[in-house]
Amino acid sequence: MMRNVALVGAGVTKFGVRKASYRDLIWEAGKACFDSVPSIRPRDVDGLVVGSVMPERTAFQSHISSLAAEALGIKPSTLSARTEHMCASGTVGIRYAYAFIAAGLADVVMVLGVEKLNQPSGDEAILNMGTGVDREWEAAFGLTAPPCFALAAQRHMAAYGTTEEQLALVGVKNHTHASKNPNAHFQKGATVDQVLCSRMISTPLRLFMCSPITDGAAAVVLAADDRARDLTDRPVWIRGTGQALDGFQLTSLHEDYAHWPALGRAASAAYRMAGITARDVDVAEVHDCFAIAELIAYEELGFCAKGEGGRFVETGRSDYGGDVVVNPRGGLIGCGHPLGATGVAQAAEIWSQLRSEAGARQTPDAAIGLTHNNSGMGEHVVMIYGREPA
Amino acid sequence: MTYVRAIDPLPLESPDHTKLHEFYAKLADGRLTTTACAGCRRTAWPPRGFCPDCGSDRFEWVDLPREGTIHAFTIQEAGLPAGFAAPRVFAIVSVGSHRIFSIVSGADAGQVAVGQRVTFQPLRVADGPKESPRWLVGFTLSEGKA
Repeated sequence: MMRNVALVGAGVTKFGVRKASYRDLIWEAGKACFDSVPSIRPRDVDGLVVGSVMPERTAFQSHISSLAAEALGIKPSTLSARTEHMCASGTVGIRYAYAFIAAGLADVVMVLGVEKLNQPSGDEAILNMGTGVDREWEAAFGLTAPPCFALAAQRHMAAYGTTEEQLALVGVKNHTHASKNPNAHFQKGATVDQVLCSRMISTPLRLFMCSPITDGAAAVVLAADDRARDLTDRPVWIRGTGQALDGFQLTSLHEDYAHWPALGRAASAAYRMAGITARDVDVAEVHDCFAIAELIAYEELGFCAKGEGGRFVETGRSDYGGDVVVNPRGGLIGCGHPLGATGVAQAAEIWSQLRSEAGARQTPDAAIGLTHNNSGMGEHVVMIYGREPA
Repeated sequence: MTYVRAIDPLPLESPDHTKLHEFYAKLADGRLTTTACAGCRRTAWPPRGFCPDCGSDRFEWVDLPREGTIHAFTIQEAGLPAGFAAPRVFAIVSVGSHRIFSIVSGADAGQVAVGQRVTFQPLRVADGPKESPRWLVGFTLSEGKA
């Protein structure tokens, strides 16, 4: 018999090019999370999972979970682990904590995502991102994420008539949302002209259609059933989860780069477990590492039909007043993408949205929230959260 | 002590470092090869030392065609990693029944198009440990086939 599991606390750091060490970011996210739930002190936490991708390169540091436990004064007695799954490391960590608690192997677990990506030289920070693709067959050529998603964008434009303006509208929406988020990397908003005139990164993706290199951390606390109700009057319940992979190397993905079957499978599994459909989702944090990823996510998550992602953003259906508010905190494009922290920050946003604590970003009457985190075009994780348990 | 990068993104290609060392030796000789499983004869790209179809870990080297066509490409103009210059033409090249990820070198980026024919040409990259030459699979636009 699985136990119900809920988020009972959440906090994020300021995201950006931070004048902070790896440990500074852990302290900052830990404090923000503990401040959100005064009933929990570090000694009350029995498990810790840390999502972090490349501290070995960016901070000359492995052994991350123990470092974070010591930094925050947590003494794990049920679970201590690090998760590394490139850009989805944070959500993969939340799934581990969820499974341990649901199975009765842990009661109160913190999941902390942290990444210090910016380096003294900018091109070395980008070089490090190459560790996320195949060294021997991809990174050796200088491949990082932008050209991969550029191929998806080209294919989507050719197959469905998606336009540069529609891609730009994702950048506009998410930069505009980020302007209402004091923790976002960017807070100035953006216009269509600004996005379309920004520097070309990898054809056809321009700078304002891309997430930046960002430092940051985020933390959430998960707890079981009655314990969750004791710790807070408004727990946010995990209702469903799914993960699926199609391939790692670019050449082993599905034939059509604009079609991401693994995301469809991960979403179906999560919806089935939650007993809901795409139409029930009020607010979604999706993995807009590049604008094209958000358009394809609308389609594979079932918010619109295949090929209609461009029209979906153009007609305002993914914004306030539409079908579903997508990326209210500003997404990866507006908030930045500190790899391991991203999935945890997505969960923290859903936590505040479903508790009606999101202030200027609040989605009216949000009862069901979704997060989507990927680690490439063929690897996806989906979580469903609800104000009420299943 | 100076600031150093202790490891680069290029593979270590010698017999001391990889089961696939013969691939790189043949590449240095101007040959594009891949593995054929000794058990079920399936060829793969990239080369692999374990067959997921029949479970064999034995393989032989077979030559691939030297000509291919561009299946998809993108030109990266900014944000390249340390050690890589822009603009850079990344391409998925169809070679026989396989799709190979690589770069197209020596071309005016504006000339590259989907469906265009390209020719295999080994790509000399930075030397490895002990000044050993290192090679990757590269392509150039085929002559007279715009």
